[in-house]
Amino acid sequence: MNLLFVISFVCLAAGMVGGGLVFSFLVAPHRPGAIKNTPYECGEQPIGQAWIQFNVGYYLFGLMFLVFDVEAAFLYPWAVAFRQMGTVGLIEAGLFILVLLVGLAYAWKKGVLEWV
Amino acid sequence: MSAYNVMAMSPFIAGAVAVVAIMLGIAVRRSHRASAAATVAAFALMLACIPVAAGVAPRQVTPLVVIDAYALFWLAIIFGAGMATAILARDYLRVRGGQPEEFYLLLLISCIGAGAMVCSRHFASFYLGLEVMTIPLYGMISYICSGKRGVEAGLKYLILAGAASAFLLFGAALIFSEAGTLDFVGMACATVNYSGSLVVLAGLAMVLVGVGFKLSLAPFHLWTPDVYEGAPAPVTAFMATVSKGAVLAALLRYFSTVSPDTFMSLRTAFSLAAAASMIAGNLLALRQTNVKRILACSSIAHAGYVAVAFLALGDIAAHAVAYYFAAYFAATLGAFGVITLLSANGDLREHDAMEDYRGLFHTRPVLAAVLALMLLSLAGVPLTAGFLGKVYVFMAGIRAGLWWQTGVLVFASAVGLVYYLRIIAVMTATPKDGDHACEVLLPAVSSAAKGLLAALTLAVLWMGIYPAPLLRIIEGIHLSAH
Repeated sequence: MNLLFVISFVCLAAGMVGGGLVFSFLVAPHRPGAIKNTPYECGEQPIGQAWIQFNVGYYLFGLMFLVFDVEAAFLYPWAVAFRQMGTVGLIEAGLFILVLLVGLAYAWKKGVLEWV
Repeated sequence: MSAYNVMAMSPFIAGAVAVVAIMLGIAVRRSHRASAAATVAAFALMLACIPVAAGVAPRQVTPLVVIDAYALFWLAIIFGAGMATAILARDYLRVRGGQPEEFYLLLLISCIGAGAMVCSRHFASFYLGLEVMTIPLYGMISYICSGKRGVEAGLKYLILAGAASAFLLFGAALIFSEAGTLDFVGMACATVNYSGSLVVLAGLAMVLVGVGFKLSLAPFHLWTPDVYEGAPAPVTAFMATVSKGAVLAALLRYFSTVSPDTFMSLRTAFSLAAAASMIAGNLLALRQTNVKRILACSSIAHAGYVAVAFLALGDIAAHAVAYYFAAYFAATLGAFGVITLLSANGDLREHDAMEDYRGLFHTRPVLAAVLALMLLSLAGVPLTAGFLGKVYVFMAGIRAGLWWQTGVLVFASAVGLVYYLRIIAVMTATPKDGDHACEVLLPAVSSAAKGLLAALTLAVLWMGIYPAPLLRIIEGIHLSAH
């Protein structure tokens, strides 16, 4: 009984991935061209290869973005439940923002915010 | 109510505040000396908070965390090991330049994660602690990024530990699908009630894979020598002690919630893994020519020994594992401490080849004597802490009727003696070209590191000769009460 459950789960997972590929292969028209085969870069003309070393600044900016992204994600539910949470909630959210601010101060001091 | 919870969690709160404060300090003004001193002070503060927490223990804080004597004992040795690592890392990083200040943040965070694991009574907090402990380790392993070895070791650990975490999570999800809870007690009850269920068995097997990787138990041990060799010596010390001990401590709490007779299939699997690691670890170590790799293989074997005690389950296992790890922590930190101090000199090379130790008794007699004592303790020679640890594990195995596992333990320990003595024999040999060795091996050992090695030496001897005070503390620990 349990084995049946596992097998059907595996089949379903394989079918979801494989089915999509097979179905589009059968149904979709296949007319490649030089322009169609270039990678999509949001409308920009791609230059050179993708296997190059990127400026480390991109990753640092990505990390800094993540900090504020997560902060926003946590502060929305807090804002909704602001009245119920009361003073304790205010202090907790303040501590949370304070810790993130220390991170920002550290990154600022380290020169992450300046593009080189 | 709330104030008691704050008291119970005070070691963690102190650690978390210290991390933020030290980071702010680094942002204001970089100073390696200040960072290291603040980290050692933070560990001292966290240790000082343990008696405060003990005042309100045992106490369950939220459904996730429990602060009891068992957790507090482990917190004490984890924070102690963290402090020792900070002291060793200072000497090691000082000569290497770069920006060593952030290393201490990673170390503190990793220790907090390990602490969260030993206090966890719920899979969510266990996993959170595991990741908080592991993620800083990636950075710590490849902290010296000028060389290839550290980066390679860090990448290897990142990929393999990620895969192991995936196994652990999937296994927990499978158990959850039957149990409907992630609470340790609930999960353990489910594994008993549905012991015939394939889903639960698959889940348990996957959890075993994930945990076996972290403990470097035998079929999952292949990463250990490479990563231990590539990581900076103080980080290797930290990995061999804290990251192993914390995982096993949490696992023991999970499995001690039910009677040992219920997990026959799991016990068999774990017994085989334990026996395989004892044999594989000791045999692999015989062929190595690098002291760090020898100690890595020895740590695989030690994971096997302690797994035998673990299989006894319940309070006997908790006592044996606690004593064994206390002894193992002291000896391993001491041995890697000597390697660290020898590597902390101007040529920026890791002094871990066997040749670096030729004639060490003639050039650096004190360091050689300390290393010899630590190796003897790891080998389990009488009058050292390691001997009583082995006796304790042996007794736990016999009392639980684990006959063949205990037999393998005795046989493997005898084989293990060979490679520990080989290092000592190399150290007593006369140096090939005396002037060269003297010139290279002249690191300036700081007084803090001297004090640390003296303390570890005393601890190893004291636990081996007069263990009664420590045993009294350990025997006050009861796991089954929860």
